[in-house]
Amino acid sequence: MSANQPVLEIKNLKKYFEGNTDIVDMIMRREPSQIQAVDGVSMTLQENESVAVIGESGCGKSTLLRTLIGLHDISAGDIVYKGTPVSEFDKADWKEYRRNVQVIFQDPFNSLNPKMTVRESLAEPLDIHGIGNKEERVREVLEQVELQPAEKYLDRKPTNLSGGEKQRVSIGRALILDPDVILADEPVSMLDVSTQAAVLTKMKELINDFDVSMIYISHDLSTVSYIAETVKVMYLGRFVESARTKRLLEDPKHPYTEALVSAIPVPDPTYDRERTEMSGAPRDPIDIGEGCRFRDRCPEVIPPDDIEIDQQAYREIMSFREFLEREEVGLERIEKIVEVNERSALVDAVQREYFDHELTGKNESTLRSALTSLADGNEDLAIERLRERFESVCETTPPEVEAEPEWHVACHHHTEIDRTTVAGGGGTDATGDSGSDATGSVAHAEHQ
Amino acid sequence: MSEPLLEVDDLTVQYETDDGMLTATSNASFSISEGEFFGLAGESGSGKSTLAKAIIGGLDDNGQVSSGTITYRGEEIQDLSDKELSQRIRWKEISWIPQGAMSSLDPLQRVSEQALEIGNVHTDLPDEEIRDKLKETFDIVGLQESRIDDYPHQFSGGMQQRAIIALALFLEPELVIADEPTTALDVIMQDQIFTYLDRLKDELDISLLLITHDISVIFESCDSVAIMHASQIAERGTTDAVHANPRHPYAFMFKEAFPDIREPKRELEVIEGHPPELMGEVDFCSFADRCPWAAPECREGAPPTESVEDGDPSHVTACVRKEEAYEMYRSDASPIDDGSGAQSIAQMGEVD
Repeated sequence: MSANQPVLEIKNLKKYFEGNTDIVDMIMRREPSQIQAVDGVSMTLQENESVAVIGESGCGKSTLLRTLIGLHDISAGDIVYKGTPVSEFDKADWKEYRRNVQVIFQDPFNSLNPKMTVRESLAEPLDIHGIGNKEERVREVLEQVELQPAEKYLDRKPTNLSGGEKQRVSIGRALILDPDVILADEPVSMLDVSTQAAVLTKMKELINDFDVSMIYISHDLSTVSYIAETVKVMYLGRFVESARTKRLLEDPKHPYTEALVSAIPVPDPTYDRERTEMSGAPRDPIDIGEGCRFRDRCPEVIPPDDIEIDQQAYREIMSFREFLEREEVGLERIEKIVEVNERSALVDAVQREYFDHELTGKNESTLRSALTSLADGNEDLAIERLRERFESVCETTPPEVEAEPEWHVACHHHTEIDRTTVAGGGGTDATGDSGSDATGSVAHAEHQ
Repeated sequence: MSEPLLEVDDLTVQYETDDGMLTATSNASFSISEGEFFGLAGESGSGKSTLAKAIIGGLDDNGQVSSGTITYRGEEIQDLSDKELSQRIRWKEISWIPQGAMSSLDPLQRVSEQALEIGNVHTDLPDEEIRDKLKETFDIVGLQESRIDDYPHQFSGGMQQRAIIALALFLEPELVIADEPTTALDVIMQDQIFTYLDRLKDELDISLLLITHDISVIFESCDSVAIMHASQIAERGTTDAVHANPRHPYAFMFKEAFPDIREPKRELEVIEGHPPELMGEVDFCSFADRCPWAAPECREGAPPTESVEDGDPSHVTACVRKEEAYEMYRSDASPIDDGSGAQSIAQMGEVD
């Protein structure tokens, strides 16, 4: 391997699943909806590097891992292993790849065969790849993962091991073929906290000792500094931010990363952490378009530059249109509550239910006319009216991924033009009321 | 926050098994005042869930309170029949947010129907009043009142969780027991839930018994904490005192095992082994086999619970070597930090 060739390169990798189709869809020949589980992910993994991919459940991190080991077909893009794309692999290449790219799974309680002793579990990969000297290698690996003395563990079955011990066996099994890459999927999340630290530390040591590279997948930002130098934050199929671990924890740039870092509890009763103000949960990544993945929850979503509007009021309008588009506005329910059978009463009721912030002028009249269309049963027109005035750059254009050495962030707030403005103007702590004003002005600056 | 609402005194809970009596909780004592948020922390297998179930009479069939008392508002409730507990205590006095709450709503019933069912079992209130109470509570947990007649699938995950909290609260209980309410949730969702739990404290003056393995959320949200290890309460006191002056080896090791995002390079404590299963009387310190500072006397009798004497009268610990162990821990810890430990931390976390 040449000095600069990465072990693993992921190039604009996409993995889409087809949504459920029923018989009506088939008769109507409708295109099945696309679940964009992994949607254009790129990264490189250098020799002896460990990179963490962090995200909440449903962000696509496990799909990414399965695609990397060939359990899913690739929808688009490619994975390049030591210079050879997997799309050009033949059978022998795949076997070689699977030998060199090993996985540690989340659940040590289910990922070991309960009928096999530790010796058998560890020897199995050696058998498959026809490697001799099994007994010696098995003992060596047990020692490396600190299950000592080996005699004590060799003939045990998984039921006679604690969670931490099982996960060490899984780590041993991943290491026994001397791989180049380890893919670890939430390796410590099932373990008690008293054991987590030990397993993480051990993994980190092994990466250093064995010249292994690792992709570490987890939902937990609080322990990531113990295992990875670089973190990539994933949201709905895309990386929204990548940075050195320390930098990302100290100075998160993307609004989603900010929320994620600030939501981590701090084990100190004297420390007054502000709770998150973000509501809701990630949407489903179905037919999600090209815009920013986080736009439907982002507290700093950018209004068009020709309108003036309070950030929180704008957020409400955006959320309401999202509800409309997903057909989640409970018009009938509201109709039931408003007993007066009048259109204006219904419009008022909908506005009361979904909007807390005052609007004025053209903003107010646009909203009212949209709500009136809605009350008339014309949802599409309502959506159209709102879209016309309020559509955000965050919806229409994929945020540029700005490249600075070792820092990428996919957010319009951080595109090149206004990076200086953001750095000086509350880009890092734009969470309070004054912050959102600052953010608004940044947004205006950006479009001039 | 004055007189105790709930007092657990010297409580032992055992399960009958084929191998004999398994002791899940041994001589545990603590009390919760009105309006207090109390956290019960420990690893899996520490007996914390058993303790909570014993309070509301929800032990499995083979479980029993072998000795000790549970006093609610001055009345001993550990011997009440199931019927009495249902009529007088459960839900309107002490309610419950279950573990794995996401799957505990009935998918075939509207939330309001589930509330009526609970209300009809535990109170004599008319249906209309029950619905009104549910509406009020929906508002507190940030759900629209008009949605009480929705089915669970019409809510997102976070909203379901809030609906569960609303169901635990709508009969205005004095004490809510929450068993790992946010385990398996993502951090942002967890933070949202605690936003609403915080609000209960401010708006309803409710007491909370929070059971979790995650001491971070207890330190953030609770007034007091008890740390349990294998059936015994190792240490308890206000969160401030236990955080500042932990004395039981399990307490300070457990605390130091948690990562703190403010110190991403700090070496995390590792506690070897796991809590033992204990049969019969526990007349020794259950942590002795895992404790680096264990002495012969640790196995000669259950350690007495004694004051830590740090200015917090409620701060007590059950360790016969409490001062020595802590001293040794602190003096042991520093050379490791300066030497090999620092080196390995540098390897682990150095990013620049």
